[in-house]
Amino acid sequence: MMRNMSVRLVSLLAALAPSAVLAEAPPMPPPYEGVYQPQGVDEIGFWRQDDESERALSNSPIVIRDEKLNSYLKEVLCKAVGPDRCGSTRIYVLREPIFNASMSPNGTMRVFSGLLLRVRSEAELASVLGHEFGHFEKRHGLQRFKSARSGTDLLSWASLLASMSPSYQTRASFQNLELSVYGNLYRFSRDNEREADLLGLSYMNNSQLRPQAASEVWLNLMGEYEASAKVRGLKKPRFNRIAFTASHPPQAERAEYLSDLADPGGADRDDGADRYREALAEWLPEFLNDQIRLNDFGGSEYVINSLAEKGWTADLWFARGELFRLRGNQRDLVNAVDFYREAIVLDPDMADAYRGLGLSQLKIGQRTDGQAALAQYLNLKPDASDAPMIGMLLPKEKTE
Amino acid sequence: MTSKPTWISVAARMLALSVLLITSPASANGYREQGKTVKVAKSDLHVTPPQDWNKLSNRPGKNAETWTLDGEQLNDVTFYGGIAPGKPLVKERNKKREPLPKMKKDTLLIEIPELLEGTYRAYKQIGIFKLTSTEPSKFLGLDSVKFTYEYVDADNLTRLGEGHAAIVEGKLYMATFDAPRLHYFAQGLGAFHALVGTARLH
Repeated sequence: MMRNMSVRLVSLLAALAPSAVLAEAPPMPPPYEGVYQPQGVDEIGFWRQDDESERALSNSPIVIRDEKLNSYLKEVLCKAVGPDRCGSTRIYVLREPIFNASMSPNGTMRVFSGLLLRVRSEAELASVLGHEFGHFEKRHGLQRFKSARSGTDLLSWASLLASMSPSYQTRASFQNLELSVYGNLYRFSRDNEREADLLGLSYMNNSQLRPQAASEVWLNLMGEYEASAKVRGLKKPRFNRIAFTASHPPQAERAEYLSDLADPGGADRDDGADRYREALAEWLPEFLNDQIRLNDFGGSEYVINSLAEKGWTADLWFARGELFRLRGNQRDLVNAVDFYREAIVLDPDMADAYRGLGLSQLKIGQRTDGQAALAQYLNLKPDASDAPMIGMLLPKEKTE
Repeated sequence: MTSKPTWISVAARMLALSVLLITSPASANGYREQGKTVKVAKSDLHVTPPQDWNKLSNRPGKNAETWTLDGEQLNDVTFYGGIAPGKPLVKERNKKREPLPKMKKDTLLIEIPELLEGTYRAYKQIGIFKLTSTEPSKFLGLDSVKFTYEYVDADNLTRLGEGHAAIVEGKLYMATFDAPRLHYFAQGLGAFHALVGTARLH
């Protein structure tokens, strides 16, 4: 009986270990099955839970309720995966300043504002949204749930059996089994991610957008992590290392296979950078502000410079000024003064740039110029929330 | 081979255990009685609570202390007592990887609200925080800044806050009140004002 059990354990373990999913050539998107309804007790229950969490999400204060932005994101998703597929999802933009997006089994797509700040074109955005859609199309949520359940079931039975023969040998074998089950679960998650990456890329290959952008997203992110680590005095991050508990493949690997498998014929296609910038124009200053105040100088500067590759705008100069002023070393303040001035050249009515300029100048000893800039701030924005406090910094005759 | 434990080693172990029990930090939260002047935030800041308050034993930072009426996160008053230049407002989770903004020698009063905003945003990794007013005021009998703010905390609940801050010899003294916008903020604001009004430096 014991033997029979161990055979079953081995076969269960084998079922947990998914086969390698990396294909040689980019696969074609599978035929789409239309409006999908959950099948079987697991999936029906899973979706019901998910419907509940979507209901809570739709009332959450961190959801950005901007119809224009939302319909633009939907349009980009439809461009990536095709109009027949994209109808089955709902996109929610969350005001969270980190690079992330997620997809849940019932078709709820969460896109974080930190992601929108970092991608630089429609094609880059489409590649991330396509990846998330790949999770949905392949029902990865359900698969992960099932694999976690069979893995933990297996461990429960194994711990019961191990307790029946309490020897050092059994204990050691149980610990090995525990490690391999957990290792398998994490590997399963990474393989799911790879599969979604490939599926996302094949949507891109078949779309009108430039598929090479998919790999650029990861190159850009690695650049940011490196810049952030450098300023914080940390070791250079290793982008090809796979931690035991990593849920995603390492960024370097993703950048590499996405670039290898992107259709070379698509390299000349449009990446929609201008359309993307236009659609995000209204939100960009807000998202930049969220990023700057995270106290990640290197990362924020990288993001600003990367956005400025297509030309500096008043918003970008202002953000850079704020970043330097908030770090606040004397040398930073001198730089900040220059950056605010650049912003004012491009947009002479930018009140907040005068505020930053004035405060920086006060702190580097340029009192008269600083007070003049602050007075200009109050002229442009008399009902500013800090107007009474700024007024205190002005010479008496100017406030009366 | 193991030797039998002698009575000396047993007694030593018992002693060690009792020492451990005595010196383990108190997990109970404190009680701050109405009318009794107490020192707060391990600093020379003293308050005389006009009503009973609870003091949380978990301190957010070396020179910070949180009091509440109904429970943590429902109506929190946090005192920051003499944050020295180069120090963050609250304890950093990881000094190198997740540094927080620091108080500086040349920090101006008008920059204190931004310091608090930066600390909240970086510590909680949140995206919604808005300073709603900043005005000159009096705190500890000194020129100070009074500011109000609104943010969505990591638990997705909208909270309102008010802070009073003064800088004394380069050190920051501040009291803040944070409570959910729904019911608790308006309900506890009066008690916060009364408490802050009794703050003195000795």
